[in-house]
Amino acid sequence: MNVHTYEKIWLVAAMVLIVAFIATITYGSVGLGIAMVGDQQPTIEPTELGDDERFGEPRVEQVGENEYEAYVVAQTFSYQPDPIEVPEDSQVTFYVTARDVIHSFSIAGTNVNTMAIPGEIAEMTVEFDEAGEYGIVCNEYCGPDHHNMEGKLHVVSADEFDLTDLSADGPDEVAVGDSVDVDVVVENRQLEDLETTVTLEIGDETVSEEVTVPGGDAVETTLSVDSSALGEGDHDWTVTVDDHDSSGSVTVLEELDDDADGGEDDE
Amino acid sequence: MSNVYIDQFPAEAKVIRAAFYSSFLALALGGVFGIIQTLHRTDFLRFMDSVDYYTVLTAHGVFLVISFTIFFLVGIFTWAVTTSLDRGLEDIRFTWGWYSLMAIGITMTGVAILAGFTDAIDMSASVLFTFYAPLQAHPLFYLGLVLFVVGTWVAGVDWFRSWWAWKAENPDERIPLPTFMVLTTMLMWYIATLGVAAAILLFLLPWSLGLIETVNPLLTRTLFWFFGHPVVYFWLMPAYMMWYVMLPKFSGGKLFSDPLARVVFVLFLILSVPTGIHHQYLDPGIAEGFKFIAMTNTMFLLLPSLLTAFTVVASMEHGARQRGGEGYFGWLKALPWRDPVFTGMALAGLMFAAAGFSGMINAGMNINYLVHNTFWVVGHFHLTVGTAVALTFMAVTYWFLPQVTGKALWSRSVALGQVVVWFVGMTFMSNAMHRAGLLGVPRRTAEPQYEGFEFQAAVGSIGELDAQIALGGVLLTISLGMFFANVVGTALNGRSDDLPANEYAGALSGPDDAPLVLDNLKLWTAIAVVLVIFAYTFPLLSIIDRGGLFGPEVIPFPLTVESATTLGFALETAASTSFESAGEIATSALTAVMR
Amino acid sequence: MRISKAALLVVIALTVPILVELRTVLAWVNVELTVLESAVLGMTMILAILIWALWPQNGRGDPSRSG
Repeated sequence: MNVHTYEKIWLVAAMVLIVAFIATITYGSVGLGIAMVGDQQPTIEPTELGDDERFGEPRVEQVGENEYEAYVVAQTFSYQPDPIEVPEDSQVTFYVTARDVIHSFSIAGTNVNTMAIPGEIAEMTVEFDEAGEYGIVCNEYCGPDHHNMEGKLHVVSADEFDLTDLSADGPDEVAVGDSVDVDVVVENRQLEDLETTVTLEIGDETVSEEVTVPGGDAVETTLSVDSSALGEGDHDWTVTVDDHDSSGSVTVLEELDDDADGGEDDE
Repeated sequence: MSNVYIDQFPAEAKVIRAAFYSSFLALALGGVFGIIQTLHRTDFLRFMDSVDYYTVLTAHGVFLVISFTIFFLVGIFTWAVTTSLDRGLEDIRFTWGWYSLMAIGITMTGVAILAGFTDAIDMSASVLFTFYAPLQAHPLFYLGLVLFVVGTWVAGVDWFRSWWAWKAENPDERIPLPTFMVLTTMLMWYIATLGVAAAILLFLLPWSLGLIETVNPLLTRTLFWFFGHPVVYFWLMPAYMMWYVMLPKFSGGKLFSDPLARVVFVLFLILSVPTGIHHQYLDPGIAEGFKFIAMTNTMFLLLPSLLTAFTVVASMEHGARQRGGEGYFGWLKALPWRDPVFTGMALAGLMFAAAGFSGMINAGMNINYLVHNTFWVVGHFHLTVGTAVALTFMAVTYWFLPQVTGKALWSRSVALGQVVVWFVGMTFMSNAMHRAGLLGVPRRTAEPQYEGFEFQAAVGSIGELDAQIALGGVLLTISLGMFFANVVGTALNGRSDDLPANEYAGALSGPDDAPLVLDNLKLWTAIAVVLVIFAYTFPLLSIIDRGGLFGPEVIPFPLTVESATTLGFALETAASTSFESAGEIATSALTAVMR
Repeated sequence: MRISKAALLVVIALTVPILVELRTVLAWVNVELTVLESAVLGMTMILAILIWALWPQNGRGDPSRSG
């Protein structure tokens, strides 16, 4: 075969270019350790996500000093959890799956981008150096409301970040003179102990209590206010722990009805 | 008797005409849907509900990349085989048979898609060109695609029959280059379409008919891309053929090298299929190693394209020097820029070079994460199939149409304007799409504006990018208008006796320089099959092993009331109410969504 | 005419990709052109090309070479 000299030079140059491309990509994967979404994770039944240890309750969890895991479920037409909150200077491994059709989990303007396929779990580790807010978009067509499928990722400063959950429960009605007892549960999903103050505000009354919640554990406590100090009528209350709050209301009556026995708060 | 194609092969000219007109009809429909979605997406003109955007998008995709391209290419493949073998097709009824299969098939698919616009018919197929399960279309959609593809298979048989008959009469001759190109492309197509045939016949069609309960979404998706990447070469190969066998002629010279053209087509036959997984770099459930193999094959696929770039430019230079061109770059002035066929192909080739660069980014396994499924990708394939292929097809139409109708082109000036306007319009549109993609703006979305955040533009603003896209879209629509004016104007012309003869370019280095082994189609097909087995057996087995042949239980997602259940699941965890009431909320939410 | 009318049309068309890409490239070196500035720059480029193309070549203006 008769190949022109120029064409031979071009052929060699083209091969060099191709080999160079493959080499840079190989270097990126092996040398720099840019991991790809692969088959690291087992499969999962999309209809049984509710019973799954990780995806039953989509959340962010701390697994090491600066290491977190985020379990994310993509579904028509939202993400859970939303927003996803992680601290700065952290390394977060995302585990993403889909409940119904194929979606994507793509943090706009970054290279954090994966498909979310029902039955499969995508794993991806990302380092967040700076605080900031990002949008999460679904870039795989998933149905008629695809364009409204969005989520948010908040990277917050270390002092603002916590994995605290607060729930509070109080009576509906109390008789004047009885105490209003609000049961509080503070859960700390971080690894370090949480030293904080639980504060109950009701009317003009404020009571607080110092609590220490061990890492990965929860503490229950009860804060009480004498209803005589409040007087008859409806009173709103709020329990505050750091940036979290939970509220309810209580009615102070002159006398309780016979068949009402303190009451359950079921919001 | 003149040397125009219609005089040489009147019966074949009629088939080619039918294929061309079918192709142009699809182009017109696709173009209308194109401008509708451009203006909707960029928020300049929204007269439909965003829900319908996806029906428009499905129609735009399927009509343009399936019907427009493939109808056109069966036309020029028929031309190439008959002209280069200098013999008519073996049985013209057989030829009409495959044309009818294709036409019936695409009509069924088209009806299923367009029915999505009206609630009066309980039918929809707003699943986009990629039809990923568990999105489900009406069975008619899948059935139509099957018929269409079977039509192309039979067309391939038709061309092989011609070649076999010719070979029996000319046992010692080399396969003429255009026929060689057709045959290698068809062999590639046979291998490639096995994937989509398996996906539809084994899984999607029975599933949409309710015969099987579930499908494995990753499996059908992988089978789709088994076909989905090589299909782009099915569109591109005819354009390459035009660049090899026609462009040198229009430049006034000869093809630089016939043997290297054969090498290029052999490389495409071998390497086109085992690359599809590069569309799935971001898919969980496929091991990194398989993605790496696909990446390597993809990179080597750059070779035939780079060789083509050399040959095309070298042939153009040769032509220009034959026409009296001089100097390092001065020869460019001597090219026949007045000829819309030449200018359109040259501009298409130029844009394909730009597309090559964005394609290399897409192929880069790790940098792909930045652009995957963003608007960047849309910018990329509007340069490849939307310009390299479409503009080449439109340009050569100005030569083919007179050949198969026997009528002179209505206006060469309008034709020249048309190809230039297409180039300018696509420059605006594609540039803005690429840039928006880098900011993370997703593809395939009706309203790329979100409530919770805004995209940050690096240069200018998102508004400017949208304006640039809309401007490009309007120019492209004007260009299409000019194209159709010419097609209709030509059809209305009377027969002309003053048409150029039907011929293609000779070669400076002819087929005799090509090693005989290049014409050994069995060998290359065998190598291609081995490579496909090598690249796909393990990924497919692994996917089936992980997720099962029919996958996990997933509720199908057609756009019907049943999908309320899916939304019910969506709300299950969000609402702390019972499942039943969640279902009710979902039903009302869905009714709102569906108008 | 230095070049044919058709070649002139193609050259003018080629200014469009150069212009839109130039705007992107200039942004890397912190020169941000507005749309208006880009348009003015484009018009200037096209004008320059027209002057170059229409200027008689070394006095031997050869009108027969057009078309």
